[in-house]
Amino acid sequence: MPDAASQFPKILVVDDEPRFRRTLARLLEARGLTVRAAGSGEEALAVLAETPVDVVVLDIKMPDMNGREVLRRMNAQGCRAEVIVLSGHASIDAAMDVMARGACDFLLKPCDVEDLDVKISLAYDRKCEKDKVRDRLKS
Amino acid sequence: MDQGDAFYSQENGAGDEAMKQNYYSSLKKMILTAMIFIPFIPFIIVVGVGYYYFTSSLEDSSIFSMRRIVEDHRHMIESFLDERKADLEFVIRMHSFDDIRKEDRLREIFRNLQKQSNTFVDLGVFNADGLHVAYQGPYELTGKNYKDAAWFAEVLQKGYYISDIFLGYRQVPHFIITTAREEAGRKWVLRATIDTYRFNSLVEQVRIGKTGEAYILNEGNVLQTNRRSGGYLMERLSEVVRQPASDIEIQTFIQKQPNGEKYLYANTWLKNKRWLLVVRQDKADAFRRLRSAAYLIVLITVIGGGVISGVAVYATSRLVSRMERMDSEKYQLNQQLIRASRLAELGEMAAGFAHEINNPLQIIQSEQSLMEMLLSDMETQKTGPAGDAAAEFRDSLHQIKTQIARCAKITQAILKFGRQNDCAREEVDLRTFIPEVADMIRKKAEVNGVQLTEEIDADIPVIYGDPGQFQQVLLNLLNNGLDAVMERHGSSGGKLDVAARRIDDRRIEISISDNGGGIRPEDQKKIFSPFFTTKPVGKGTGLGLSVCYGIVNQMGGEMSVQSEMGAGARFSIQLPAGE
Repeated sequence: MPDAASQFPKILVVDDEPRFRRTLARLLEARGLTVRAAGSGEEALAVLAETPVDVVVLDIKMPDMNGREVLRRMNAQGCRAEVIVLSGHASIDAAMDVMARGACDFLLKPCDVEDLDVKISLAYDRKCEKDKVRDRLKS
Repeated sequence: MDQGDAFYSQENGAGDEAMKQNYYSSLKKMILTAMIFIPFIPFIIVVGVGYYYFTSSLEDSSIFSMRRIVEDHRHMIESFLDERKADLEFVIRMHSFDDIRKEDRLREIFRNLQKQSNTFVDLGVFNADGLHVAYQGPYELTGKNYKDAAWFAEVLQKGYYISDIFLGYRQVPHFIITTAREEAGRKWVLRATIDTYRFNSLVEQVRIGKTGEAYILNEGNVLQTNRRSGGYLMERLSEVVRQPASDIEIQTFIQKQPNGEKYLYANTWLKNKRWLLVVRQDKADAFRRLRSAAYLIVLITVIGGGVISGVAVYATSRLVSRMERMDSEKYQLNQQLIRASRLAELGEMAAGFAHEINNPLQIIQSEQSLMEMLLSDMETQKTGPAGDAAAEFRDSLHQIKTQIARCAKITQAILKFGRQNDCAREEVDLRTFIPEVADMIRKKAEVNGVQLTEEIDADIPVIYGDPGQFQQVLLNLLNNGLDAVMERHGSSGGKLDVAARRIDDRRIEISISDNGGGIRPEDQKKIFSPFFTTKPVGKGTGLGLSVCYGIVNQMGGEMSVQSEMGAGARFSIQLPAGE
């Protein structure tokens, strides 16, 4: 399975801008990724609960639930997806905070899709490594 | 609007100058007045009270001493006259008329009298008819008849008589003392002449100060003694001296002489003769010490007043200039605070604005990426534009990408200026750090003929901060300087200097000076504000210096600029020194 997964990493894009979700999903899919999109924190958590996801691209500032809260709830749910925060609100404080909550990267909007792709594959590799380690520990 | 007000008050600062000057000069006047007059009041009171008591006590003592002289001399003269009278009365009681008229007897009596007092000049005996029956003395008076003389009638009536000074037969000033006795129904008279010179000396010896003198007047204002200041025996004085009302009283007063001089007088009537004993002294002489005291007091007042005024003027000018300095420092501090808070507000606003712009930028960028992708797809499927059209399309897309990147650069710079969050705090050794940064632009400077110099104190302490950020600050300032110098001097003659020195134990200063065109005063105020730039549109974002300002603030320092049009500019960064 891991090998199959490595070819098609499953991505969840969480952003309150519908147009951006759609476009980004298309762009990433074009790069061979399996992409799902969620328009709010609630939706994202629901998706995460029913489908396994490898990497989450998460916005911070969203109307109902902000990205930090989503991160907290993901951890609570025991979600093992790697999280890349993509926010227009760059501040070192916010970055440190999300990193402390388990995000693996912090990107500032506007971010080039290629850059994002690179970061996603890095995150995915990390996730695979982690999974391997976890499997080994289990067995 | 706060920001508007701040600008307004700043620009009006110069206009307030006249009003401020006015305020300080009126303040100065007020303090000066208070500082001069308040010490002056007790000073004048002390001097005045001192003068009053001193003069009155001096006057009292002068008057008192004159009264005492009068008193003593009256007593002396009265005793003298009383004694002479008593001498004669003793003689007349002890001898009968028949006994005394014998020449031998009279000579013996006269000799005895002269032993009593050498002021007796002669002695004569008269019968009731006024005939001079016996005489002892230097003149030949025996046989003369005094029946009609005024004194003879009076002595017969009263029993004794003391005359005024007169010339008599002998044409020599003298006065006489006579006594009478009734013997077996017949009266006879004994007369003695008193030496006026000796009597004179009793009075004349009085001497007070330079002009103090004593003399005796009879009721007719005729001198009975010589007067030292002019006036001989028996001369009638032209001026009339006030006379005491009662016999025993001693009267003191000041009287003006016909010649205008004022004299202090003390006089009294003698008890046994209607003679007036006068003691007088020139007022100026009597109160001479008073006058010197007055001069001294005036001198003290003038010097004291001068000292008070001098100290007041000095202290006031010190005080007011100090106040002025403190006020202007306060004003500047306020201005700095206003500017800092305005910059902080601007920074916050700009940061918020940048955040909001970033989201749409991201969407635009993703759309652009999508379009690029779609275009590539169409090209591979040969369904889209081809040839030149496709190239133009691609160029246009590229341009969108470039402009998005440009926007992203701006928003990122704004975010840097805004909240400078925790950044690295590392030790920075300026002795190596500054040359490193300078080397980055050295090539550019050399190419453009700009002379780049460094002056770094060998003992400069380290500073703490983010080396990356601080490098950005220095590079920004150096590049700005380079631009300014190149604009003014072209390819030669430009100078750019970076210096670092220690201000005191706690602060260091890094300065970057150029000899470029300088910065206009109105621009100096706004130079650290975001988006302020004097460069042409598209050449600079106007964020460089505001970011530098933010970074320096973050490091606990201050940044300022001094510039004179046409002479260059000097940017100064003051930072806390590390240990």
